[in-house]
Amino acid sequence: MEKITIPIGPQHPLLKEPLSLLIDIMGENVLGGDLRLGYVHRGIEKLAQTRNYVQNVPLIERVCGICSHVHTTTYCYAVEKLLGIEIPARAQYIRALMCELERIHSHLLWLGILCKHIGLDTIFMHTWHNREMVLDIMEELSGGRVSHAANKIGGVRFDLDQDHGPMVVSILNKLRVEIDKLRDVVMYEPTIRARTQGVAPLSPEEIRQFGVVGPVARASGVDVDFRRDDPLPPYDQLKFSVVTNQAGDAWARTLVRVEEIEESMKICGQILQDLPDGSVEIRASRRVPAGQVVVRAEAPRGELIYFLRSDGSDSPARLKIRTPSLTALSILPKQLSEIQVADIPVVIAGVDLCIACADR
Amino acid sequence: MIRNLIGKIYRWAQKNSLWVLHFNTGGCNGCDIEFLDLLTPRYDVERLGILAEGSPRHADVLICTGPVTRQTQKGIWQIYSQMPSPKWVVALGSCSNTGGVFYDSDTVLGGIDKVLPVDLYIPGCPVRPEAIIEGLIKLQERI
Amino acid sequence: MVQKVISDIESEIGKPYQQLESIINEHVLQIPSEDLRQVVKVLTQKHGYNHLSTITAQITKEDPDYIEVLYHFWKGSGFTLLLRLEKENPVIDSIIDFIPGVDFYEREVAEMYGVHFNLRDGTPPLLLPDDWTEGPPMLTSEKE
Repeated sequence: MEKITIPIGPQHPLLKEPLSLLIDIMGENVLGGDLRLGYVHRGIEKLAQTRNYVQNVPLIERVCGICSHVHTTTYCYAVEKLLGIEIPARAQYIRALMCELERIHSHLLWLGILCKHIGLDTIFMHTWHNREMVLDIMEELSGGRVSHAANKIGGVRFDLDQDHGPMVVSILNKLRVEIDKLRDVVMYEPTIRARTQGVAPLSPEEIRQFGVVGPVARASGVDVDFRRDDPLPPYDQLKFSVVTNQAGDAWARTLVRVEEIEESMKICGQILQDLPDGSVEIRASRRVPAGQVVVRAEAPRGELIYFLRSDGSDSPARLKIRTPSLTALSILPKQLSEIQVADIPVVIAGVDLCIACADR
Repeated sequence: MIRNLIGKIYRWAQKNSLWVLHFNTGGCNGCDIEFLDLLTPRYDVERLGILAEGSPRHADVLICTGPVTRQTQKGIWQIYSQMPSPKWVVALGSCSNTGGVFYDSDTVLGGIDKVLPVDLYIPGCPVRPEAIIEGLIKLQERI
Repeated sequence: MVQKVISDIESEIGKPYQQLESIINEHVLQIPSEDLRQVVKVLTQKHGYNHLSTITAQITKEDPDYIEVLYHFWKGSGFTLLLRLEKENPVIDSIIDFIPGVDFYEREVAEMYGVHFNLRDGTPPLLLPDDWTEGPPMLTSEKE
């Protein structure tokens, strides 16, 4: 038997983003893989230097469509730290509410895509139908389904009135019933377990060496969550638990993400209960004093880090973004080297790729 | 006269079953997930006869999202030339129409009309699913 | 806690380093580029600073002849190593044998700023297109 190389090129029904993978196989065993990024590189770090701080907020929002809110949240917190201002508590809670809703919608999206790759189209249809409920909430609050434009430097752009709270709670209660049904299906359906259990396990040592973050790391027992360990303002007052699993294979990653949806819904309930009164914005000057700051946040896929340097003018001197998808991609060739050909879609989907985030 | 009739039946069959190929040439995924939303029960374009296909050789319509980056330029031509005629190209979203917020970047060429002939432009950032359905119906009426 | 780590590094390598206050939220330690591998060895093997968040490179207006390279570590709080390389000939040792996950970060710094990394098999391009011939993009037209 000789070695064959399969190119999974930029256009492929498996991937909705352009990414080039070259996978070496011999018979049914996969020997390894190589990947080529850069198809979605738009030069955002360089573009951010040519625009001012306020114009950068819509640009940063379009780094990735799925986790757009957490990018602008981190950027706005970085600029506010340099300005030396602190936004009102009500704005902090609204920012966290949108972050958690985004986490729910991102994990539901991922679950649908994983089941579609395994071949269970019905679960794909059900999860995306349930995801529409979350998008309805976000549209009711902010006006946009996928791109909300919720943040601005100095606070948030909209406020919740007294009807919004009960409306969100009632939709989340309906969603909880649906998620419980889905969780039962995912945990007890023998096909999903058979396709994902034991596939591409990662040990905690490998996780640490490659710097992997997010649900992939928590599924191997590494207990790190930047909402608890390095919290941005409202998270230090919210109670939640961090979901981990010891097995480290694709099944563990599925379980971790399904449990995280449940935790996020609890956090949303807490936020709506404890929402403080007050205004939602504070005046921020356009010229930012010189300085450098590093801010870390927990995106749905892991740790997001922003480095911002200002030189006293009204546009950034250097903006550096590192997204969690880049760390997951660095371990993908290693994961592809111990599996069978039929497991390739499960491994690629289990990593929760977002090439637009990784390439910027 | 028979030819006319056959032509009419052919066009009627074609416009009621447009098979769509989706290609992301460098976008942020916002328009992609709104496009995939069309296949889900709430918007359900299959009742219009539209099916999402995987291979260029089976597709009638190429839907492009995202601005064209220098790296994806050759790939687009290959896909377009593999599609059999008659074929149509739809540009989805403001990045695909004109380059969007990335129009002045060094690695971005601009909208899809710098590389391919476009039949329909659907604006939005990201595009709402209702707008995509309206655009596809307009394309059907044109056939 | 972090002070203990810093004094331990200084006693292992045998010379004092300068601590800066230049970045909000982070402890910053400036080291010369020759000592990078020894400092990273002490940090990772003796004190457990295993998580390297990213590597940032920048050119500042105050010092336009130098490229600053920042290594952001994290363990409970942020800890950054700051190195300065000559802009005309930026060369630095790779730490890929200590932390295999820095592969992508080093490749990005190499292609964006033209930095050369020793002790590794070259740095193939990561993000720039195949037909890019204009040279490192962040070096040209850095903000005045």
